[in-house]
Amino acid sequence: MTDPDPLLSVDNPFSTRCVKPGAIAYLFPPGEDPAALVERLRRNAWWGQLVGPHGSGKSTLLATLLPMLELAGRRPLCFALHDGQRRLPADPARSSTVDAATIVIVDGYEQLSRWNRWRLKRLCRRRGWGLIVSSHGDAGLPHLMHTTVEIERAAAIVGRLLGAEQGLIGGDEIAQCLARHRGDMREMLMELYDLYEERRRGVMS
Amino acid sequence: MNDDAIHIRFDGNGRIYHPGETLSGEYWLEPIDTNEVRAMEISILWHTEGKGDEDISVHEFQRVAVEEQTGEPSACRGRFSTVLPNSPLSYEGQLIKVRWCVRLRVFLRGREIVGQHRFRLGNVPPARIPKP
Repeated sequence: MTDPDPLLSVDNPFSTRCVKPGAIAYLFPPGEDPAALVERLRRNAWWGQLVGPHGSGKSTLLATLLPMLELAGRRPLCFALHDGQRRLPADPARSSTVDAATIVIVDGYEQLSRWNRWRLKRLCRRRGWGLIVSSHGDAGLPHLMHTTVEIERAAAIVGRLLGAEQGLIGGDEIAQCLARHRGDMREMLMELYDLYEERRRGVMS
Repeated sequence: MNDDAIHIRFDGNGRIYHPGETLSGEYWLEPIDTNEVRAMEISILWHTEGKGDEDISVHEFQRVAVEEQTGEPSACRGRFSTVLPNSPLSYEGQLIKVRWCVRLRVFLRGREIVGQHRFRLGNVPPARIPKP
């Protein structure tokens, strides 16, 4: 079902809907794959940390891991923390869905206060739950993966998003954009949203 | 997002509608095994799209369970009709877009498929990016 009206049919492939965690799969670097990560987690009693800078794909990687964890018989309980959230928005101990297979997943673990980080670890240890966190620095959990963005993978992701319109944004532009944002993929995609709008409207007018 | 098996057609093949106007049309599934269909949900909704958080609101919703259908052909075919509201009008901005569509979600045995057909509410011209 295609629309002849360009205003109805054209979607910006860099809009939030298309680039938010879960909408695009994490592109693993050579030598890494989701099955290996899940196996590493299993060996660590389902504890692990993803460490990486802003916009390096930690949230996307967590979203990619979720269905794999469910397939492995785990029951993820997810929390996404943002600026200044010093505590979890809900107490996992009071959740009605927790059981021995629970894995607490905290995206943005460094936001928690030191006290709340300690309490969460203690709770998970006592209940025998798994704990996976993403953080900008070492959170004291078994290391799972360090996320980075290289130009080759950034270009591959942009290519996937553009699909048939790959020629609209060149490889050099992607490299310059990524460099301008110091490897922050999220910021890079935001800038490409504007560039796409500019070019698409240029094509349409 | 559109599954090829889902077809939605507006009466009169309209594209631009105005507040208070009636939007009507039909939907059908083809090709599909009718025995697989468990239920269908037809929604007339608007959503935003852009760089920030996205918003969605359903103007009209109808769920059709297959038990309610009579006869094989009608199990995969139906009609919709609604009087469109005054707002929000469709808008094609640079940072945000407001889009209207008729969306059909079909629950099959063990999976679901979705198809949608967009239309414009109002005739607000798209935003122009000023030249530097």
